[in-house]
Amino acid sequence: MSAPLLSVRDLEISFRLGTEETAVVRDLSFDLGEGETLGIVGESGCGKSITALSLLGLVPNPPGRVSAGQILFQGQDLVGASEEQLNRIRGNEISMVFQEPMTSLNPVYTVGEQIAETARVHFGSSRAEAWDRAIEMLKLVGIPSPEQRAHNFPHQLSGGMRQRVMIAIALVCEPKILIADEPTTALDVTVQAQIFDLFRELQDKIGAAIILITHDIGVVAQMTNRVMVMYAGRKIEEGPVAGFIRDPRHPYTRGLISCIPRLSMSPSDMPDPLFEIPGVVPAPRELGAPGCAFAPRCPHAMQRCRVQDPALSRIGEGRAVACWLEEEVAA
Amino acid sequence: MIKGTLGKTANTVILLIAVLVLNFAMIHVAPGDPVEALVGEMGGATTEQIAELRAQFGLDQPLYVQIGKYLWNVAQGDLGYSYYYDQPVTSLILDRIGPTLLLVTTALFSAIVIGTVLGVFSAQRRNSLLSHLVTVLSLAGFSAPVFWIGIMLILLLSVAIPILPISGMTSSEVPEGTFWYILDVAHHLVLPALTLGLIYLAFYSRLSRASMIEVLQTDYVRTARAKGLPRRMVIYKHALRNAVLPVVTFAGLQFGQVISGAVLVETVFAWPGLGTLAFDSILRRDTTTLLGILFFSALMVVVMNILTDIVYRRIDPRIKTA
Ligand SMILES: Nc1ncnc2c1ncn2[C@@H]1O[C@H](COP(=O)(O)OP(=O)(O)OP(=O)(O)O)[C@@H](O)[C@H]1O
Ligand code: SF4
Ligand SMILES: [Mg+2]
Repeated sequence: MSAPLLSVRDLEISFRLGTEETAVVRDLSFDLGEGETLGIVGESGCGKSITALSLLGLVPNPPGRVSAGQILFQGQDLVGASEEQLNRIRGNEISMVFQEPMTSLNPVYTVGEQIAETARVHFGSSRAEAWDRAIEMLKLVGIPSPEQRAHNFPHQLSGGMRQRVMIAIALVCEPKILIADEPTTALDVTVQAQIFDLFRELQDKIGAAIILITHDIGVVAQMTNRVMVMYAGRKIEEGPVAGFIRDPRHPYTRGLISCIPRLSMSPSDMPDPLFEIPGVVPAPRELGAPGCAFAPRCPHAMQRCRVQDPALSRIGEGRAVACWLEEEVAA
Repeated sequence: MIKGTLGKTANTVILLIAVLVLNFAMIHVAPGDPVEALVGEMGGATTEQIAELRAQFGLDQPLYVQIGKYLWNVAQGDLGYSYYYDQPVTSLILDRIGPTLLLVTTALFSAIVIGTVLGVFSAQRRNSLLSHLVTVLSLAGFSAPVFWIGIMLILLLSVAIPILPISGMTSSEVPEGTFWYILDVAHHLVLPALTLGLIYLAFYSRLSRASMIEVLQTDYVRTARAKGLPRRMVIYKHALRNAVLPVVTFAGLQFGQVISGAVLVETVFAWPGLGTLAFDSILRRDTTTLLGILFFSALMVVVMNILTDIVYRRIDPRIKTA
C-alpha cells in the first residue's frame, strides 16, 4: 500500500491558559487517502476545529501551538514548516471551508476578487484570467448569474451564497484535500442539503479528499467513507462508516448514535428528541486527569476506568476503540 | 437618492440654525456685553452715551428680534461687524483661518500617518519594544495637558537649546522673497505643530493599534491566511483597509473640531489663527466675532462630516446603499 496523502502522527495541540499550558488535543493519529472522505465527529469543544486548523499551520499562536507530533502531507512534515512553505500548500493543496460563513469573507472586497486573488497567488494568473476563473468557480458552485454576482460584496449575499463563495475559494486551485468544518451549521436545512450535494458533485469532478467535520451522524452516514470520533481532545473510535453506524462500540458513540431520530421510525417509536448523553464535556483544565475522560458520564464505568486511560485498541477491519470494555470482551 | 440628499440638507440647515440660536442665547445670558467692554476701554461714559451705543448695536431690542436679525444677516453671508477689530467678521475669519488650517492640518496629518504606521506595526508584535513604546506614548499623550507639553517643548527647544522660535508665525527680520517667507513660517510651525501633533499621535497610534489587533483576529483574516496569501497581502490588503475605518471616522470628527482643538496650542504659542481670535474675543466681549467663529466651527463640522462620509463610502462598500 502506498503512503497515505495525509498522515497525522501523535499530534498534540496545547493552549496556554494563564500560566499553565494545557493540551486540548492529545495522541491524535489518523490517515487520509487520496479521494477519501473522512468524517470527524464529536461534541462541541472536543478539538475538531483546532485539529483542522493545525493541518494548515493556523493554530492561533499565541496562545496555542502544536506541541508534539507530525503532520505528514505527501511525506512533508507541516509541523515546523516555514510560512513560505505553508503558503504554497494553503489554499492550493489543502484548503478549508469554515464554520462561520457570515464572517469568513472580507467585507470590503468583492467576492469575485476574493476568489480571483487566490488563483493569482498560486497560479500566477493575470487579473483577467483569474477573474474569468472566479466566474467559472461561481458557476460551478451553483451561484446564478455569476458574472453579476462576482461584483457583489459579501453583505449583498445570503449565508448559503456566502458559504458557496467560500467553497469556490477553497476549490479554485483544485486542492488535494478539502477540509470542511461544519460547513452548514450556520445555514438552514434546505441549504444544508444543497451544500452537501455540491460537495459530492465537486468531489467527483475534482477528486479531492475531504475531511468533513460535523456533529451530525446523519451527514456522516450519507457523506463519508470513514469516521473518527473525538472526545475531550482524543480519538476514541474510528472505522469504516457502515460498521460504525450499525455497531458503534464506544459508550459515547453509542449514545451519540441513539440520539439521532430515525426517519423510518413512526412518531411513537421516536426517542425523546431531547435525549442527550447526560453530563458535559470536561473543561480544558480538567484534561490530562488520570482515567478515561468519559468516565464521569459513562453508564458502564468501572473502577479501572477512573484510574487508567484506555489505549486505542484495534478491533478488526480498520476499526479501533479506546475503551476498557473492549478488553473485557476480548479477555 | 435625491430625496435622501434633500432630507440631509434640510437637516443640516435646521441644525445650523439651532446652533446659531443657542449660541446667541447663551452669550446673551453671560454677563457683560460689547458696550461695557468698549466703554471700559474708552475710560467711562455717561448713561446717555451708553444707551446710544446700545441702540446703535441693536442691543436695546428684545432678544428674539436680535436673533431674527442676526439669522437674516447670516443667511445673506454677513456675520456682522467687529467694532473691536474694526473689520467685518467674515473677513476677520478668512484672515485667520489660513494659519489654523496650516497648523492643524500639519499636526493632524502627520499624526495620522505616523500613528497608523506605529499602530499597525506594534499590533503585529504585541510584546515588542515598539509596542510598549506606543503604549507609553499614548498614556503620556492622554494624561499630559496640552499647554504643559507645549511649555516643556518651549523650555527644551527654544530656551535650553535655542533652535526654534517661541511664538508667532513670522519674524520681523527675514530677507525678502517667498522662499524665505515659507522657510520662516515652517520654522515657527515646528513647535506648535509638534505639541498638537503629539497629542493626536498618542491618540491615533493607540486607536490604530487597537483596531488592527481586533481585525487581525477576525475570521476573514484567518480566511486570507488559509488561502495561502503572503503575509504582506494579509496585512496590507485584507487587514489594513478594515483597520483604518475608525481612523477615518475620528480624523473627520477631529478635523471638524479643528478650531476648538487649536485654541489652547494657538494661545500658548501666540499663533495668529482662529483659536487665538476666539480666545481674544471672549476676553474682549467681542460677541459678534465670537458668534461668527462659533458659527464657522459648526459649518466646519458639517462640511467635514460630509467629506468623511464620502471617504468612508469609498473604503467600506457596506454603507454605499445606506
Ligand atoms: N483561541 C483559543 N484560545 C484558547 N483555547 C482555545 C482556543 N481555540 C480553541 N481553544 C480550546 O480548544 C478546544 C477545542 O476547541 P475547538 O474549537 O477545536 O472545538 P470544536 O470541536 O471545533 O467545537 P465546536 O463543535 O463547538 O466547533 C476547546 O476546549 C477550546 O477551549
Ligand atoms: S473506558 Fe470505561 S469509562 Fe471510558 S468509555 Fe469505556 S467503559 Fe466508559
Ligand atoms: Mg469547531
